[in-house]
Amino acid sequence: MAEYLQPGSLEEAAGMIASHGSSLAIVAGGTSAMRYSAPQAEHVMGVRGLGMNKIEHFSGGLSLGSGVTMSQIRESLPIPALQEAARGVGGPAVQNMATIGGNIFARQPYGDVAVVLLALDATVTFSTVNGEHTKKLEDFYASGAQADGLLTRIDCAAPGGELVYLKCGRRRFNSPTVIAVAACVGLDNGKVGNACIALGGAGKHPTRCAAAEKALIGEALGVASIRAAADQAAGACSPGTDSVASEWYRRRMIATYLTRALQQIAAG
Amino acid sequence: MASRIVSLKVNGQNEEFIVGALTSLQDILRDTLNYTSVKEGCRQGGCGSCSVIIDGELRLSCLTPVQEVDGSEVTTLEGLNQSNSIAALQQQFIDKYAAQCGFCTPGMMVAIQALLDRNPNPSRDEITEGLAGNICRCTGYLPIIKAVEGVVAEMSGASGD
Ligand SMILES: Cc1cc2nc3c(=O)[nH]c(=O)nc-3n(C[C@H](O)[C@H](O)[C@H](O)COP(=O)(O)OP(=O)(O)OC[C@H]3O[C@@H](n4cnc5c(N)ncnc54)[C@H](O)[C@@H]3O)c2cc1C
Ligand code: FES
Ligand code: FES
Repeated sequence: MAEYLQPGSLEEAAGMIASHGSSLAIVAGGTSAMRYSAPQAEHVMGVRGLGMNKIEHFSGGLSLGSGVTMSQIRESLPIPALQEAARGVGGPAVQNMATIGGNIFARQPYGDVAVVLLALDATVTFSTVNGEHTKKLEDFYASGAQADGLLTRIDCAAPGGELVYLKCGRRRFNSPTVIAVAACVGLDNGKVGNACIALGGAGKHPTRCAAAEKALIGEALGVASIRAAADQAAGACSPGTDSVASEWYRRRMIATYLTRALQQIAAG
Repeated sequence: MASRIVSLKVNGQNEEFIVGALTSLQDILRDTLNYTSVKEGCRQGGCGSCSVIIDGELRLSCLTPVQEVDGSEVTTLEGLNQSNSIAALQQQFIDKYAAQCGFCTPGMMVAIQALLDRNPNPSRDEITEGLAGNICRCTGYLPIIKAVEGVVAEMSGASGD
């Protein structure tokens, strides 16, 4: 039976993580951890009481506590793509519980909100016994998505262009994710100046797609560049097969949904 | 193992227990307090049959460690029944055949109450989204949606059909 720990401060939480190592499971909203990691763990640490649910705005950017819930995102964030992603996570009860921090660690094909955060080039900040450290979410995923300490907050600047998020599901509400795409594209004199393409359900965790971004940058956002980007994304991704969808289907839906997202941006 | 006291107000009643290990709110409500309207459909967050209202918010008791809701107010279907606030909804469930086996019904009613508390006049789309976390294997959902529409119509003074 797992011992239940409730740290009173970030320092205490970081200390518990350091001393218990892999025998410790962290529970935030619990919508994933209570199913998978917590029941088998020797120690379970609840982080709801740490007050990490603040949303701060600064010059267009955001600093989100890791405990901000899907419902909080839906109700109080100014970024429609983030709201849309949060709206797609489970039903209302799950949204009242599930946190943005937990979404970053979600098992694939989940992590809908994390896909948008990747497209926003967000950073993640961890608190450890040796102090705080911050890294890009992209680098966090590229290096295997290993938590180093307690995830305290996620920061992102205002979108550097038009941001569109689309999810392919099996039904309209409360659907498991087949794939998700988020595209943030900045146009400069009719040409793509910057592009950030993030995919969910396309690999072990949410991934940036550099090949698709390269196909867009410097080009006019039109039929040819959009097709090239979609082809690149379908070729570069490595989706899995599960009870929700096959690898074959996911690859095709990535191309289809990325095309739609980019068309929406092109249409303004 | 370190134990602690957890206090809750469940359906208006103060309750206290000593807990040590990870314990779900569902286990406390069903097994310790005998509120058997809280069903155990999946214990995975997938069915909504264990839905309860915690401090005004709809949540799943199966995925909630009881330690995390210390000091909270919890309402189950029994609580809604005591206050008689769901009499109209119960009648609509009967009129529209919205319960067959009844296993999903308590969770549905709690979710409907939470929806109407936030939005007293939901559209059909908003009803569907509001109940998206509650699975019913019998009715095909339409009778349940019609029951909610019936209550909404009654509350706004129109006829239920
Ligand atoms: C019915 C249902 C439907 C769902 N649908 C979707 C969906 O459509 N899309 C989607 O993306 N997800 C979905 N999920 C998965 C999950 O609910 C979400 O990904 C959610 O955001 C996870 O957040 P949580 O706070 O509940 O995480 P928890 O379950 O509390 O934690 C998950 C993991 O994150 C780690 N973690 C959490 N917080 C921290 C922290 N502060 N520091 C370090 N590590 C931490 C923990 O180690 C833990 O293993 C669904 C879940 C359910 C039950
Ligand atoms: S038992 Fe809690 S959601 Fe199914
Ligand atoms: S009435 Fe049987 S599950 Fe809904």
